[in-house]
Amino acid sequence: MTDALLRARNVARRFGSQVALEPTEIDVRAGETLALIGPNGAGKSTLLSILAGALEPSAGRLERLDGVRVGWVPQRSSFYDRLTARENLELFARLEGEGDPAETAERLLARFDVPADRPAQTFSVGNRQRLNVALALVGKPRVLLLDEPTAALDPGQRRRLWETVTALRDEGGAVVFATQNLEELDLYADRVAILQHGTVTFVGPTAEYDELHAEEVFS
Amino acid sequence: MKRASLLLRKDLRVLVRSPVLLGVLIAYPLLVAGLVGLVAGYGSAKPRVALVDEDHLPQVVVVGGHPFRIQDAIAEVGKNVHLLPMQPGSARRALSTGRVVATLTVPPGFLADLTSGVHSPSLQYQTTHGGISSRVTQQVQALVYNLNRRLQKALVQTDLGYVQLIVNGGRAKFGGRTYDVLGLERMQLLLRELPPSPQRARMAEFARIAGVALAQTGNLLGSTASPIGLQRAHEDSRSSLLSAQVQAYALALTVTFLALLLAAGAIASERDENTIGRLRRGLLSMGELVSAKVALAAVVALALGLAIAVVFGVIVQAGGVAGGEPWQRLPLLALGLVLAGAALGALGALLGALSREARTASLVAVLVVMPIVFLGLVPREVVPVAGWLSDGLPFAHAVRYFAASLYDASPWATVARELAWLLGLGLLFGALARVATRRLSS
Repeated sequence: MTDALLRARNVARRFGSQVALEPTEIDVRAGETLALIGPNGAGKSTLLSILAGALEPSAGRLERLDGVRVGWVPQRSSFYDRLTARENLELFARLEGEGDPAETAERLLARFDVPADRPAQTFSVGNRQRLNVALALVGKPRVLLLDEPTAALDPGQRRRLWETVTALRDEGGAVVFATQNLEELDLYADRVAILQHGTVTFVGPTAEYDELHAEEVFS
Repeated sequence: MKRASLLLRKDLRVLVRSPVLLGVLIAYPLLVAGLVGLVAGYGSAKPRVALVDEDHLPQVVVVGGHPFRIQDAIAEVGKNVHLLPMQPGSARRALSTGRVVATLTVPPGFLADLTSGVHSPSLQYQTTHGGISSRVTQQVQALVYNLNRRLQKALVQTDLGYVQLIVNGGRAKFGGRTYDVLGLERMQLLLRELPPSPQRARMAEFARIAGVALAQTGNLLGSTASPIGLQRAHEDSRSSLLSAQVQAYALALTVTFLALLLAAGAIASERDENTIGRLRRGLLSMGELVSAKVALAAVVALALGLAIAVVFGVIVQAGGVAGGEPWQRLPLLALGLVLAGAALGALGALLGALSREARTASLVAVLVVMPIVFLGLVPREVVPVAGWLSDGLPFAHAVRYFAASLYDASPWATVARELAWLLGLGLLFGALARVATRRLSS
């Protein structure tokens, strides 16, 4: 698998008669940040869910380098509302097999400044997203998959998120993020993949991607 | 299974943090159990029966020379039905509209036939089909039976009077005329005054034997009227409210309701909270997910079932109620509670996985609980199909297990059979739920 940490081989997904993702080949390489862009309903979330292992492909297969852990920030928050942030983090730390779940939870709570001991159902949208991101980092993943992660974050939290993402990439990890914010491409993406109607129509360095192409994608 | 136990602990923690939900889940099945008890009690309530007196019965009727208060007799023996005096037209309308479940008519000429003794008079009975009509028919038959017994007593007394007249002699009235009857005893005295002869000796012997034979007639007539009597002994056992059957139904109903709803809601809420995808990423297999929900149902069923059994036992002990040992069989009951909770939890997990969202799952579970329970309540002898369907669901097996484990002198055969059923059904529903969880992540 050369330097690819994750590789999707002809993965496709149907929901009943509806095709969400046509057969798709894509590599997630060590030390890169890959951006997925495309209009709503193009298949970005489906591809990210398949890469995360949260959704089984209808066809094709997903290859993962041995020992590589994957963190996932779904577009919709994914935790237990009646548990506190600390309890959520400790529970998933235990499920991930972390040695010291309490320490992991404490570290992530401090890093993302999430209210620790209030039920998550009382959180604001921003706090929910911060907890969502913190949960993705439980288990020290080498690959981080983010589905429009900054949509509900304030500027300070966005900056902190991208610092985390950049650090993970710089340490030899990989980051894949779906976004509608084209500014984030220039700032953080090394490569871009364009999805339209469930099909990947372009994969290449960000430098090769130009504004006109973007206009076509979203028009 | 360590990961499943982590999820189980999470679910229990969430449940404890929802006291209103927990309270409703506990109170609702107990309320339903009480209502089922009331409905069952309706089975022994008095049905309304119209009484149409077309013969204008007087307060007192003379039957066989004895005064007989027939209206009082009807009122007394009609303790099991609510008799409503009505005119014929009103009674017909009441029967057709269902205000009464039957009509009982005293036809014209009833009294004449009764007092003459020439014909046996008949009461006319009309009822609707189905429902409780068979029970009302039995009660009206009981009413007529009791009337007959009272009349038989009067008629037997009259017959005995005639026998005494033949034996002892005296004055008697027949057809408006008064007769002086000689009687067997006086006949023997007269015979002694006649000159001895073989004919006199033969007639005296006949009078003696006839007197002895007729002296036995009183007892024989009484026996003929009532060959078998029924005496009610003092009751020294549990009341129906504290019966093993009621406790078994209350336990099974509570466990069914709780286990189905909890497991269905808990598995569907994993999708609602979008955690199913996070868990699927190698953190928890779908088999472990189903196991955690089944275990949740089993744990809650055990805790609540034991609490109910303990409360019931305390009531029995404190009330000094006779019959049964509430404490010795608790371990056996606990085993049944766990397995019944698990089997019903597996069914709930299946419903939850098919429903995909918690609100729908809860609604489906509530809708499914009632038919399951009522199928289990229908006697197999009355509707065999209900019995077959009920065999495929855990409720009836739970009822039989609880009743046997609590009070049967030798429960082991029933307990083993029902445990096997519960285990088999639990494994079947668990496997189906495991397959259905594929829908949760799509």
